[in-house]
Amino acid sequence: MSAWQTAQLYRQDANSGHTLLTKEKREELLKPYIPPAPKSNAKRRPNKRQPLRDFLRSQIHLLIYNIMHAAFSLYIRLRQTYHVVLDRSFAILYYHHRAPELIRQDVQGLNRLPEHLSVILELKSEERGQAGLEKLMDDVAEISTWCTCVGIPMLSVYEKTGILKAYIPTAHRIVTRKMHSYFGQRVPSVQIRAPHVPSFLNGDGSDEADVSTSSSGYLSILLISAEDGRSTLVDLTKTLTEMSQRGKLSPNDVSLDLIDTEITESIMGEPDLLVLFGPHIALQGYPPWQVRLTEIFHVPDNAGVGYQTFLRALHSYAKASMKFGR
Amino acid sequence: MPSMHLSQTRSWFLQSPPVEWAISQVRELLIGVLSQGPIPKHVAFVMDGNRRFARHHGIETIEGHSIGFEALVRILEVCYKTGVRVVTIYAFSIENFKRSKYEVDALMDMFKVKLAQLSQHSDLLQRYGARIRVLGQRELVKPDVLEAIDRAVELTKDNGDAILNICFSYTSQDEMTSAIRDTVVEYSKPLPSNLPRPFSQSHITHTIRSRHLPPPSSSQPSAALEQPPPRPLSPFLEDPTASSDTEDSLASTSASASASTTLHPSPAPSTTTSIDSPHPSSSDFRAPSVPSSKPFPTYLSSSAASPSSTTPTTYPDPESITAHTLTAHMHTAGMPPLDLLVRTSGVERLSDFMLWQCHERTEITFLKALWPEFDLWNFLPVLVEWQWRRRRREREIGGGEQREGKGE
Repeated sequence: MSAWQTAQLYRQDANSGHTLLTKEKREELLKPYIPPAPKSNAKRRPNKRQPLRDFLRSQIHLLIYNIMHAAFSLYIRLRQTYHVVLDRSFAILYYHHRAPELIRQDVQGLNRLPEHLSVILELKSEERGQAGLEKLMDDVAEISTWCTCVGIPMLSVYEKTGILKAYIPTAHRIVTRKMHSYFGQRVPSVQIRAPHVPSFLNGDGSDEADVSTSSSGYLSILLISAEDGRSTLVDLTKTLTEMSQRGKLSPNDVSLDLIDTEITESIMGEPDLLVLFGPHIALQGYPPWQVRLTEIFHVPDNAGVGYQTFLRALHSYAKASMKFGR
Repeated sequence: MPSMHLSQTRSWFLQSPPVEWAISQVRELLIGVLSQGPIPKHVAFVMDGNRRFARHHGIETIEGHSIGFEALVRILEVCYKTGVRVVTIYAFSIENFKRSKYEVDALMDMFKVKLAQLSQHSDLLQRYGARIRVLGQRELVKPDVLEAIDRAVELTKDNGDAILNICFSYTSQDEMTSAIRDTVVEYSKPLPSNLPRPFSQSHITHTIRSRHLPPPSSSQPSAALEQPPPRPLSPFLEDPTASSDTEDSLASTSASASASTTLHPSPAPSTTTSIDSPHPSSSDFRAPSVPSSKPFPTYLSSSAASPSSTTPTTYPDPESITAHTLTAHMHTAGMPPLDLLVRTSGVERLSDFMLWQCHERTEITFLKALWPEFDLWNFLPVLVEWQWRRRRREREIGGGEQREGKGE
């Protein structure tokens, strides 16, 4: 009996609510698809008498494995080249020329934009120290400027080590400078903050703030790091435990809504779009609670922050249809 | 998209005996080849695209799910044969209860039947040595389905150490919530009070003094009876570090502190309560000739716990809760960390699945293929890329150490 017939028979049976065939019959049908039963000792012995054959087989497997991986390395080089070329051509086709009008034009046709954009940036380990930090600041400044041009009001920047949180005033200065180079005199107001950092610098209070804030936009930047991820949930658990030990809270009060409210208030809500600028998708300890329904965008083999990547992310987000519950 | 009917010619060719044999040989070979390299310990799948597959091929939704199940069996074979320990699949989310009643009921029925098949033809899972575990909130599931779940879990519980996790009536936020709640409950249980300990502090001080003072005291007869006692007692009194290889460093450091306090006779009686009476005489105490490390933690913790003994109930310290504590309360407790998550049908979201588990190292792959089409051929590039990256990282770690060794 061919597999096709088997499948037909099986589906007929399934359609009739599994009444057509008995359990034994169904097992009979499945037999060719499952590996041979673990043989009893009597049957296993002949296998042991063929060490040469086993050895050869494993050698062949190893050989093919190495060939396959050599071929794959070649393939991945080609793929990386292809993606770099693609990325470059996008970069040439869509360059922002530091003109907010051009950026606005690029996103004109999109039917929806994220309210809350989140990005994962990486501090390059080889250029740790001043250069890496400067690059990181510049990336933040670029992305936040694009966001203001497009009209995204909320940007959260995830960086694992949390080094940015120590330089909030500097970051604010760099972002404002970048905005000046795009917008000229009419810079939007920018607010940079980090969770649990008591002194956050508010752009509204700075010297250039009196230039018509309503017309040129508003951006709130949130800097988060690995400690706002799992450890926040741990901290919440500690607090809840203490309350429960003192009898202020019954464990039954711990509900999804309570946790959601607390986490949203202390860190942030769920972002609509998460853009990764790394070569593959790994969340690197991004806050787990908040990525529930977040659209995750990444360009394969990508390295570094680029306007074209940002734009492609927005385009892909606009196309994606949101459905709850898969 | 070709309809089911058109693709029949192709499948007629693919399923003719010689071609089928050749394909199965190639599959076997590839599986053998893959298992030569590093293999993810824990793989999760979001089986997305059954409904779209059905729509594209003009068949009923439920039949799409049914073909999806066949794809699952195929992929389970690949996983377990290559050496994956744990496979987690997203079968049904709590959100899915919001779908049409017709579809939910049909899905439930199908789930019951498939689960029964998986476990009943226990050959299937037994040969891979996998046992079924169902993760999710039981309260929302109908009793007849629950019964099917319990039966399946029961039937496969003796299989080997591989695991098939079926996330059913599951969302990750719900999982995290219950983990937090369980932790709170666990830490809100008062510690058992430390009264029924078989040693008394005053007695120990007494013994120590009797060791150091030459004039004979009440415990003298027993000391004469047994010579060894001076040796087990002395290491932790005079040289607390001597026993530190059996105890952790914390214990040994505080042991020296408590040892010094007990040598002064004055504070010891004040902290001790009158629990001397139920205890046997001195000779009984020393008769078992306990190893030197044995009386030592008891004696240590009684002195450490004495300040808190004024409050009626003591609780475990909430500060000792860590991410590991929460991980241990997740449904996936005790399983290897998630290495690879695959989602089919081109949707690039986690959709409330394995949020906590998708942490540092987890590689997430979004594939364009719909789940019923998913097979070794789509999975192979994913696995090979995972292996490639894993090997490269291992090489980098190795290379970095070498470079550091050279002093570069």
